[in-house]
Amino acid sequence: VTIAAKAGAVEDASRLMERVRAGDADAFEALYDRYHRLVYGLALRVLADRGAAEDVTQAVFLKIWDRPALFRGGNFAAWLARVTRNRAFDAVRARSVRAEGDFPASMPVDEALEEVAIAHLDGARVRDALAQLPPEQREPIELGFFGGVTHQEIARRIGLPLGTVKTRIRTGLRRLRNALEGAVTV
Amino acid sequence: MSPHDEMLDAVAAYALGALPAHEASEVIGHLRGCAECRAEYRLLQPAVTAVAYSAEACADPASGAGQASPLLKTRIMKQVRGEVSRARASRPWAAYAAAAACLALAIMTGLVDLSLSGRLSQERAQVAEQNQTIADFMAPDSRRHPFAGGEVLMRGQRLYIAMHDMPMPPKGKVYQAWTLAKGAKTVAPSETFMPAPSGMTVVRLPEAATTLAAVAVSIEPEGGSRQPTSKPIAMISLQ
Repeated sequence: VTIAAKAGAVEDASRLMERVRAGDADAFEALYDRYHRLVYGLALRVLADRGAAEDVTQAVFLKIWDRPALFRGGNFAAWLARVTRNRAFDAVRARSVRAEGDFPASMPVDEALEEVAIAHLDGARVRDALAQLPPEQREPIELGFFGGVTHQEIARRIGLPLGTVKTRIRTGLRRLRNALEGAVTV
Repeated sequence: MSPHDEMLDAVAAYALGALPAHEASEVIGHLRGCAECRAEYRLLQPAVTAVAYSAEACADPASGAGQASPLLKTRIMKQVRGEVSRARASRPWAAYAAAAACLALAIMTGLVDLSLSGRLSQERAQVAEQNQTIADFMAPDSRRHPFAGGEVLMRGQRLYIAMHDMPMPPKGKVYQAWTLAKGAKTVAPSETFMPAPSGMTVVRLPEAATTLAAVAVSIEPEGGSRQPTSKPIAMISLQ
């Protein structure tokens, strides 16, 4: 049932995006209601500033409204998370004195993500699953995703060799994926 | 660890978005030719989306600390629905608001040469200005003075000239706005501007709206003139 429900949600988002392409403001509002907590929460985690996170949220949703064709199908939540993270990192760059080369590359957003959707993905459930990971795996994953730093910087901060950091990221992501089972291909 | 195991680890760091650009392109190149690494990438991708979800704001409004202000939704939906009503009713004042939004976007995209921090603060200022313009054009209490080819809109002390179907001025020329203060005998120079490719223009004049008796527009040499050098293409009385 949960798998079907998730597949339904994924399909819904794609259908809503079709209506947004046709200029349907009600469909856009439904998307906002469903996904604004993901967009705002992610931006807030990266930027640690409510005003800046709201700016990113507004920019992301207005971009969806103005240029819905940027979403080329696939898993909408995965695409949205990438768009949001890229935008939030732009804001981090803008207020940073770090060299451009110290920032991770933007995540690709211009192709359909044939990503497997995990059933029942919500904040509380994932936070629980992440909390189950050993800290030495969780820490580099969280730093890597939210910190706006490259693996070199993660290695420096944690004080581990680069290779070890990458291995821990991989092991941790695999473990997280297993913990969140119930995956279904869409 | 074999070199290929190292590549699999790099694929994980890439999936997480933690590689600098040059290493990311190496992984992308490798993924094209390596089925094993592509399988690993597909396996890890959903976990990365899950990590994003771990930051999702709480659904419970009682713990509002992690949530965006409800005003944010109001702001976004106002803009979205404003554009829809413009498209449906094709009322010129709503079209001007959309033109202002496009103009602001065009300005933002044009700012690539500035430093990133400069760009961000400029973007913020642009967005604020754009929101103000849209609000003014949508507001029922704005005063409108239509003329052939556009309208002058006043709200409080803010004053805009909105025009449509404007041809590009001849090379070396620009449009210039002129203002006539109440009781004055001669016009004073105001903003110079160019139409958007669509032929639409929304210009905010810096003068306080209530101090003015009339507004005019003429074509002038680049940089503007101190007195009109050509017959105005529009003269609008605000009385």
